[in-house]
Amino acid sequence: MARGSVMRERIETLARGVPGRFGSALHSERVAARLGLWLGISFTAAFVTGLFSHFTQHPPGRLAWPSRPVGLYRVTQGIHVIGGLATIPLLFAKLWTVYPKLWQWPPFRSFSHAVERALVLVLVGASLFQLITGLLNVSYVYLWPFSFPAAHYWTAYLLYGALVIHVVNEWAKVRRWLWTREEVEPRETVTARRRFLGTVAAASGLTVLFTVGETYAPLSGLALLAPRDPRVGPQGLPVNRSAAAAGVTAMIHDPGYRLTVTGAVGTPLSLTYADLLRLPQHTVRLPIACVEGWSAEAEWSGVRLRDLAAMAGVAPDAVLTVESLERGGGYRSSEVRAPHWGDPLTLLALRVGGEPLAPDHGFPVRLIAPNRPGALQTKWVSKVVAA
Amino acid sequence: MKNGVNAPRLLGYGIGGGLVVTGLAGLVVDARLTDPLGWALWFGGLVVAHDGVLVPFVLLTGVAVGRLREPAPVRAGLIVAAVLSFLALPMVTGFGRRADNPSLLPLDYGRNLLVVLGLIALVTAFATIAVRLRAGRRRG
Repeated sequence: MARGSVMRERIETLARGVPGRFGSALHSERVAARLGLWLGISFTAAFVTGLFSHFTQHPPGRLAWPSRPVGLYRVTQGIHVIGGLATIPLLFAKLWTVYPKLWQWPPFRSFSHAVERALVLVLVGASLFQLITGLLNVSYVYLWPFSFPAAHYWTAYLLYGALVIHVVNEWAKVRRWLWTREEVEPRETVTARRRFLGTVAAASGLTVLFTVGETYAPLSGLALLAPRDPRVGPQGLPVNRSAAAAGVTAMIHDPGYRLTVTGAVGTPLSLTYADLLRLPQHTVRLPIACVEGWSAEAEWSGVRLRDLAAMAGVAPDAVLTVESLERGGGYRSSEVRAPHWGDPLTLLALRVGGEPLAPDHGFPVRLIAPNRPGALQTKWVSKVVAA
Repeated sequence: MKNGVNAPRLLGYGIGGGLVVTGLAGLVVDARLTDPLGWALWFGGLVVAHDGVLVPFVLLTGVAVGRLREPAPVRAGLIVAAVLSFLALPMVTGFGRRADNPSLLPLDYGRNLLVVLGLIALVTAFATIAVRLRAGRRRG
């Protein structure tokens, strides 16, 4: 018994001593408050843009989002992905700063302290989960058994909820360290802190500099560490799902190909590729803006979807479902609601850059519309169903 | 939970708690897609890998760098280099490449990372020399 209690006392003394062993003055509340503020801003931007992306792809009820501004989705998703990558150094810096608190003794002072620490664990775990699986996902490394969009979506609520609670708990410290200047600090402390925060900001800034060119064309030459180059791909455009991967290589060259417009229509249509080429052609300049953050602009020509809808006699508030030749897969079809199919920029495109579409870009016909995630710009289109 | 309870605080806990519950419920209800066990392994695994491996490694490196005569530029250079290497690692390994789609991961990421690390090393070296010269002048 006596030996046991001596042992326990020794372990306790050792444990109590751990936080004191972190010598750097940078493990301070002031540094944590500054990094916390930056993280709060970036996680808020990621949460808002992420929800926007989710609801453009899964609109609740009959709700429709607008087709303008043309490049809105490209910008919000660029902020989501490039901003998310730039958050990685902020998170690592913040967790390093507060690391001594992981070893605080006693680990739980009270029930409410235990709850608080549990929620910090949720916040830390969810932050690491979102940023690291996000990085792997845009690098096409899928080492997990779950569906990334579903896991990323629900974990975002977990993260942001735990963040709100954390901010409520720590707000007094943020105010104290960032908005009041009372005590005089030694100059070395100030220098060391500025240097550290400057380094972290530089790591974030360089992350942006070396990746943002995958969506912002003027900087594409600097995109050394981006998973995409917006100039690389068939016809100078990146591809997400190739014709081979979609299993449509044989079908798209079938001479019996018809584009049909059916469902709630006055006159059902059935058009050959040559028929489509004889209809009035329009040329638009629109980006493909991928949910993975890259985007690339191109000149598309083809038939306006609203012209086809008018020919078939579709009601003005109808929802059109554009279906692909693909047999399965999550992106086989997409819904086009009234603001989008009524927009003169929305085409069933037959050409890109003046040439017939490459098979990987959706030959014979693909949908291209403004302010819309790339995953919904359905390729290899063979059917439009009105409802 | 520390500074007494007031209305904004309760509102914050309400919103935060509601979001946490929404997230947990979604992960469970959507289990077919979220695979809660696989999710939990990733969630816990990342925390353990970060707190148990990455941070201790960074702390030890920090102690070693602290013994240098002019640690500040080296410390900054290593932080930036480590972050960019971490970012590039999944692309450098090329796990995500697919034969049918050469537009995925189209660059030579190994070479690009070396270029970036070379630039960082260069800036670090110049900064170290500058700091030493300044220190020498002050002493002299």
